Amino acid sequence: MIILKYLLLIFLGVTAYLAISFKEILISIIFLSIFSIVLTALYLIHNAPDVALAEAVIGAGLNTAIFMTVISQIRADEDCHCRKDD
Amino acid sequence: MSRIKHISIVIILAFLGLIMLLDLNKIPNQFEYANSIYHHITNNAVGETGSLNFVTAILYDYRAYDSMGESTIIFGAVSGIVLLLSRKTLPVSSHGLSFIVKRTYGMLTPFIFLFSVYIIAHGHLSPGGGFQGGVILGAISIIFSIVYGSEFDYKRYTPTTKTLLETSGALLFIGIGLIGIIYSGSFLSNLNILNSEPGSLLSAGSIPFINLGIGFKIGAGLAIIFYSMIQKTFKEEASL
Repeated sequence: MIILKYLLLIFLGVTAYLAISFKEILISIIFLSIFSIVLTALYLIHNAPDVALAEAVIGAGLNTAIFMTVISQIRADEDCHCRKDD
Repeated sequence: MSRIKHISIVIILAFLGLIMLLDLNKIPNQFEYANSIYHHITNNAVGETGSLNFVTAILYDYRAYDSMGESTIIFGAVSGIVLLLSRKTLPVSSHGLSFIVKRTYGMLTPFIFLFSVYIIAHGHLSPGGGFQGGVILGAISIIFSIVYGSEFDYKRYTPTTKTLLETSGALLFIGIGLIGIIYSGSFLSNLNILNSEPGSLLSAGSIPFINLGIGFKIGAGLAIIFYSMIQKTFKEEASL
């Protein structure tokens, strides 16, 4: 269990670094979602199922959907801008 | 220049991490003190509140006033987002995803709903509670807008219905608090309405009612946030 814990901690750091290292925001959102799932497993190992449930639902599910909506909204704005310039 | 900035950020973060790691060892071990809150809760929480899940017992009984503040924060966030983003146009979206996805999600929806109701109703027995179950309730509505297109859910459950659900959840919470003043003299005190033995579904006084109120409030609030965010997008897609 201790090996799994440290493995998950390392993976947490790797996903957090990958989330900020890409220029494409969509990839960052996917990595944030993976980050949340790894964090859920860590909370479960540390005997906090309440927080794990909240993290799984909000971090992996809801945050991704809301970020995707914001991205699509920003891109629609940018597209509108380009077409007006043309 | 940017390289120096990166290296300095890494050094500062490593330094802060080291300080936090050293501070973590200085936190007093609460098992040592005989009169600490830890011992009080582990010894008396089942007898005082009837809830087997101590996290729920703390959130909705000992510190229920804090939870009311949190739900007020969410109410403020929903109001602000609706004020900034909402438009009075019906969202016209794409036709959603393919037939297979639609049928699969249609079959899965009752089970997701059952799971969220289970988490809300068993908040005082198993991990979870009003907040987690409510977010799953909101997620059902959000996945509907992704799979079936945003018109589907919007026409059946208008923002007025969702606002009604949210405010009724908040009123249930505050109403239980106000009944507590009449009943036993303090705001949000535990009314022993459901007082069968601890561990059964109808136990833990007023905690299940507060869970129900929080669940409806959070679920409807998150759905309102999502739908007020997509409305603008689809208006601009329609104008193209």
